This record gives sequence, structure tokens and C-alpha cells, in this order.
Amino acid sequence: MFTVIKPGLETSVQDYPGRIGFRNQGFPPSGPMDSWSFRLANLLVGNEPGAAALECQYMGPTLRFSSAAIIAITGADMQATLDGETVPLWQSLYVQPGQALEMKFARHGIRAYIAFAGGIDSPPWLGSQSTFNKAGVGGIEGHALKEGQEVKLHAVEIDKTMAGRSVIESARPELGDGKHWNIQVVLGPNDDWLDERGIDTFLTSNWKLSGKSDRTGFRLEGPELTFSQKAIHKAPEHGSEPSNIIDQGYPVGGINLAGETLIILVNDGPSMGGFINPFTVPMSEFWKLGQAKPGAIFNFTAISVDEAQQQGRAIDALCNTKNII
Amino acid sequence: MATDVELQTSGNIWKVLVEAEQSVAAGETLFIMEVMKMEVPHTAPCDGKVSALHINEGDEGLDAGMVAVTLV
Repeated sequence: MFTVIKPGLETSVQDYPGRIGFRNQGFPPSGPMDSWSFRLANLLVGNEPGAAALECQYMGPTLRFSSAAIIAITGADMQATLDGETVPLWQSLYVQPGQALEMKFARHGIRAYIAFAGGIDSPPWLGSQSTFNKAGVGGIEGHALKEGQEVKLHAVEIDKTMAGRSVIESARPELGDGKHWNIQVVLGPNDDWLDERGIDTFLTSNWKLSGKSDRTGFRLEGPELTFSQKAIHKAPEHGSEPSNIIDQGYPVGGINLAGETLIILVNDGPSMGGFINPFTVPMSEFWKLGQAKPGAIFNFTAISVDEAQQQGRAIDALCNTKNII
Repeated sequence: MATDVELQTSGNIWKVLVEAEQSVAAGETLFIMEVMKMEVPHTAPCDGKVSALHINEGDEGLDAGMVAVTLV
């Protein structure tokens, strides 16, 4: 068990792949934005890759352990210390009862993951422990961590030999400077509502990630896109703006054109609405979104659904105990 | 002795509540950042006077760790 001394900035319990199967009732998958780093953190402490762990955003928490634990931190560097001693990332470590883990702002990357041997013990909701903060479900009492909360871990025998293991370098995501990202997208579902020039503008422009981005949506700033005849000459029930469409389901990762603003719908995003989604970011690219700094420049490259699935499988293959030494 | 107040997160500057040469008390809010549509207030760690102000309202995409305000 540990006590939350400082919660950090919306630190939440997540599991992987999250709350799957309820999108038709409006529930997003939630889960970790950088599921690559998340799964490796769990593997380091001997858990199943999807076990419930913490996602820390921008500013990490301070936690005091009341029982011994094996933990691992992956993803962003939040200057973690254990009783003042620097904690290495991508490595498991043993924590004694009474010790405090303190994290600060993210120096490199944006989201860090803390996994605990046994995993976090919290009641699942619709089959997942993932926090969906906006709806107040999952996690600890439905929300991000709060000061003074006590968080339980599943009881497991703490095996000190599980400490000191690390993820081989070639299996870790490369966070770069966090300010430039090449993100792959698949066209559709509504790419035919843009004209050729609109699609070309999207794929060749620099897009700036707005600071007004969160786990619901990532807002992009850039040029205006142009529309096809389909968007301009349409039945009135679609709505008056070219980007309006009669209400439809939204894919996870859909790049939603809300009026003139592009918003990538991410882990906690809406399941439906009345704007077009000309492009979709495959979930295998979400780790980049999770680690991108506000103000970062995104460039988009179109790939096929097959290529996106291959990339997803390549990351799955890296999240394997054979890459833990 | 000068005390630097660093940005505790990457993000945007939403409001700056102090001016150069202004005296502030420990715990007083100096400026408020915005990230993930949340406000992140930054307070003075000690009593002092604002000797340098390196941020402006509306600044975007700043890096965590940058010195925002210097107090003497």
C-alpha cells in the first residue's frame, strides 16, 4: 500500500487495453496514452503487461510506501528520487516500507508510468480499472489521485531478486526532444469530404500541438483545409458547416475537424458526434501523442491500415519479457 | 540572495499576476500556467521583490524548468 503525499497533475490509475467493448454506449477505452512504456513498466516488476498502474502527466506525484514493494518507472523522466536517491528509469527497484518516492516535472517526455509488483488493487468498472476522469468512473473513486488517499496493491510475495532488472535499450520508445514528431495516419473514415488540395495540405503542413490538449483531445493549430463537393453540396440534415455531418460514430484516434480546428480524439475522447474525421491516428502511434510537448510540431504521413496493424504488432513484440534483462 | 522560480510543467502562461519591482509575500501566486486545460499556479517560495520577469501572458509551449521569475 502507498499513501498519496502529493498527487501530481492528474495522476491516474490505468490498465491496458482499458475499457474495451462499451464504445456503443459512449465509453472510451481510456487506458495509458503511451501503452508501450506502460507495458514495459509492468513487465519489469513481473506483472502481466496490462496490470493496473499509474499514469503521471507533466508533474509526477509523491508517494509514501507503507509496505515493501517492487516498482518500476518508465516513459518520461520526472526526476524521480526514493528518499532523495535518484531512481533510474526503465529499471525495477525494491522499496522498503516507509520510503517516499518523489517525482517532479517532466524534463524529457510528458507521461511517466509507475508499475507495482502485483498491480494496483481497485474495483474494476465495466471490466477495467482505467480511470475515466470526466465521467468519474474507474480508478480510485472515479478520479485522478488526491492528496491523502491510500492506494492498495494486490498482495504478492515481494521477491527482491526482481529488483535491478532493466529494459534493453532497443525495446524502449525513442522520445527525442519531444518537440518534433512524425505521426502516421490512415485516411478515413471521411477523407472524401476534403478535396485533393485539403488532403495534401494536411499531409504537407506543420501542425502545432496546442497547450489546450488533454486525454480527451489533442488540438492542432495549422492552415485551413479545403473541402470536396460532398461537404459543400449536401442534404440540410448534415448541418450548415462543411465539416458538419449527420451524427456518426467516431473512431478512437479520429482526427476530428470541428469547424476549422483539428482535434485528435484520444483515449478519453467522445464516441460520436456531428463533425467529420478525415484521418485517423492508429493506436500504435498514440505513444508519440502521449509524450509530445505542448507547442510540438507534428507532421503526418499516410499509411495503410495493414501497415498500421503491422506497426502495432511490432510494438507488441517489443513488450515482451525477453527484452527485460 | 536571488531566488529563481522555475516552471513546474511544460505549457502555456495563462496569467501573470505580478510586475517587475513588485514586492511579494511567501505563498503569493506569481503566475498561473495552463496545461491540459488545467490551471497550475506558481507561488513565491519566499518574501521578496520581483527583480526579473521572463514570461508574458499568452506565452506558449514553454519548457518545464525554465526560470520564470527571479526574486531578491
